[in-house]
Amino acid sequence: MHAISFSSWMRLSLFRLVLSFLLVVSFAATAFGRQTETLDTGKVTASLVSSLDRVAPGETVWIALRTELDEGWHTYWRNPGDSGEPVQLTWALPAGVEAGPIAWPLPYPIPTGPIVNYGFEGAPLFPVEMTVPNSAQDGDRLSFVLDFYYLVCADICIPEEGQLSLDLEVGEPIEDVIWGPQIQAAVLSSPRPGSVRGAAELANETLSLTFTNFPDGTISGAYFFPFDQGVLGHSTPQSFRLGKTGIGLMSAPEFLWANGIAETVQGVLTYTLDGETRGEVVTVATNAALDIGAPSISGPSMGLWAAAFGALLGGLILNLMPCVFPIISLKALSLAKTAHGERAAARRGAWAYTGGVLVTFALLAAGLIAFKAAGAQIGWGFQLQSPKVVGILALLLFVIGLNLLGLFEFGSRLQGAGQGLTARGGLSGSFFTGVLAVVVATPCTAPFMAGAVGYALAQPALTTLIVFLALGLGFALPFLLLGYIPGLLAKLPKPGPWMETFRQVLAFPMFAAAIWLVWVLILQTGANGTGLLLIAMLLAGFAIWVFRRGSGFAKGLALIVALGAAALPLTLSTGAADVKAAVLDSEVWSPERVAELRAQGRPVFVDFTAAWCVTCKVNEQLVLKTDRTQALFERTNTAFLIADWTNRDAKIAAELERYGRAGVPLYLAFPASHDDVMGLVLPQTLSFSVLEETLGQ
Amino acid sequence: MKTLFTATAAVALLATAAPASAKIANGTTVSDIIVTDSNGKQHNLSDFKGKRVVLEWTNDGCPYVQKHYDTNNMQNLQKEATLGSDTVWLSVISSAPGKQGYVSGEGANALTTSRGAAPSAVVLDPSGDMGQAFAAKTTPHMYIIDEAGTLVYQGAIDDNSSARKSTVPGAKNYVRAALADLDAGQPVAIADTAPYGCSVKYSS
Repeated sequence: MHAISFSSWMRLSLFRLVLSFLLVVSFAATAFGRQTETLDTGKVTASLVSSLDRVAPGETVWIALRTELDEGWHTYWRNPGDSGEPVQLTWALPAGVEAGPIAWPLPYPIPTGPIVNYGFEGAPLFPVEMTVPNSAQDGDRLSFVLDFYYLVCADICIPEEGQLSLDLEVGEPIEDVIWGPQIQAAVLSSPRPGSVRGAAELANETLSLTFTNFPDGTISGAYFFPFDQGVLGHSTPQSFRLGKTGIGLMSAPEFLWANGIAETVQGVLTYTLDGETRGEVVTVATNAALDIGAPSISGPSMGLWAAAFGALLGGLILNLMPCVFPIISLKALSLAKTAHGERAAARRGAWAYTGGVLVTFALLAAGLIAFKAAGAQIGWGFQLQSPKVVGILALLLFVIGLNLLGLFEFGSRLQGAGQGLTARGGLSGSFFTGVLAVVVATPCTAPFMAGAVGYALAQPALTTLIVFLALGLGFALPFLLLGYIPGLLAKLPKPGPWMETFRQVLAFPMFAAAIWLVWVLILQTGANGTGLLLIAMLLAGFAIWVFRRGSGFAKGLALIVALGAAALPLTLSTGAADVKAAVLDSEVWSPERVAELRAQGRPVFVDFTAAWCVTCKVNEQLVLKTDRTQALFERTNTAFLIADWTNRDAKIAAELERYGRAGVPLYLAFPASHDDVMGLVLPQTLSFSVLEETLGQ
Repeated sequence: MKTLFTATAAVALLATAAPASAKIANGTTVSDIIVTDSNGKQHNLSDFKGKRVVLEWTNDGCPYVQKHYDTNNMQNLQKEATLGSDTVWLSVISSAPGKQGYVSGEGANALTTSRGAAPSAVVLDPSGDMGQAFAAKTTPHMYIIDEAGTLVYQGAIDDNSSARKSTVPGAKNYVRAALADLDAGQPVAIADTAPYGCSVKYSS
């Protein structure tokens, strides 16, 4: 066995130094390295290169097939993806020499139209480790003969093959100055098993991959290349999500899952760690999941207190949203009335209102937590994804509208302006106004609120609850302030006959809101469901009329009719409504479509919206549906994709979650120059100038 | 015609609003897909109910297709399968105009003659709509639809993914095996395999 002596190392190093210099001044690079004749097989120029020029007995040497591919052509990895065939090497070796497996380079996904392949471009090296037997004698010549075969494709495919051989002398080892370092680098970057652990399971026909135990650093993207076909859909984009202790990838399961998949599958996970892409061979346990922790969003990540503060602000702003404003006005009226009576009563009323708000938010939080625990993909506004809730809410708003108009009173003993269901005298009235205000507020998303709620939903139950309560507190804050700041209270207008008029005027925003909910219902259930709701409204109106005019018996009848009216919306279910959001020149969103359009080099804008989301509709009217925005999209060739969350949709919910959001709106831009998998998040209060700045680059 | 196809294919296959190139599962009922053959004749896949339908995605410039035609493997399978009259064999060309494998109706017929092929018809799908509806990835890519109109096999023609002609005789032919299973009145044992070959040359 030979060892490289210190003096020979010195000589080698000196030689390398001189040679490096020579390399710089001349282009005769390949003349110094050991390389077989190059063989032009058509689209590829192939040669054999070795890490050593002379190898010692019992030692190993890496011999690599070097391929230089013509521009635009690619060859294939061990799993070629949707089509293609891997590079194949067949060795004829000297007696006693043993060849290891190919140290594959890192593969890349190569999309061609709707098809995705795994392979290589440029000049990949395919190194194989050869072990020379101890029995080899100094001075022996070892001849390595390689039959190689590869399919090389651009838009068309050509199988190419050839034979190359390389002779090595046995003796004191000499590193090949050119190829030694290059092969070493190729071997080092070739994926091997490391610390990373993986798991994969099916959930809602989606393949969820989770990976943990990464080296320290920031991971900004990942892709899993299975060794075998049938594990996942190669052409399905793998959506990436970063957790505190690991990462998740979502893809589509392939046929191996239907036939009973093995307990583990192997593959290469490539990931970008601190900006550098590396790969590791990972054994993935199937039908299992690893805890990757809460989403860790690099940009807008926030702590509990920041989230709570955001929620507080969001709640405060929520008061100004169109869905809430009429209710709030009524409450203010009732407060004003009380205020001119007794201060302590005003405070009690404010606290009762706050109580109603907080209890309702707590119930909402509990509902969300329960649904999440059950594995549902939901978020803010989830209540309105149920047509039953939309129906009941529309009916409720209609009845409140009738009440405001003065058609009837809840409880004849109460009188005076501003007193109806929402302003029943006393504390219970204030409490229910709080409940109602929250219920009506759910379709609205205020600035600052989305981030906080998104954060909250990804956190343990207690945090979710805290953030929701902060939201409620912010929502109720104006009334608490009114109760405690004497100056404010005095500034409220004095009660008078005008209040009756004002109350009647407020009936019309209520009817408008009801119309809007009916429209939402049309999108959710189609004509039949909407008809049912309108009948329910008719029955409710009739019941109220009978109740007011009739005797004891008629009152009983009216009660039954009213109950029937209230029960009708409960029969609503998401139906055959096939009304697509008819705006602009748009397409339906899917992660695949985004990837496809981006592969074509087109800028992409995605609008995550829902019929019941008021902020979304406002943005559509003021910004997205305008001529100049259309013109901007046309000029920049931007594809406009709409993700409609009016009805529950796990894919959209998952995408929102990737961006740390729990609800719509979410606006994503992928300018042509943008090369991150995650899109740019635009503000929820969209403006043309932001769009122009982002897409006009 | 194209829009008709798109609409019907979309309804029949993609009722679940899956993305355009998502794979369709075995067991899916394939119906109301109208296609045009090399003689300009229209066929509706649902008209073939009661018959078995074999779909073969092809591209004469693809080395993997050539492997099966130069060895007469594909022609023999076509003749075997369509013997009698209860199986319809459709060769489908989804190459976009200007791409490898794209042919006119006459060109397709000339290829059938020169190769001695025996499909029941050659379907021309230059828009790629039919290919995308079936999520056809490669040439060859094989599908079998049973008498009830249910998709019962999809994937490779055999288990040797090489382009080398010498690999044909030793390979296990999945399509032949699936047809034999159906003949025996049994469910297809190997019903879903990884297709291999050149990518289908869709317009991009």
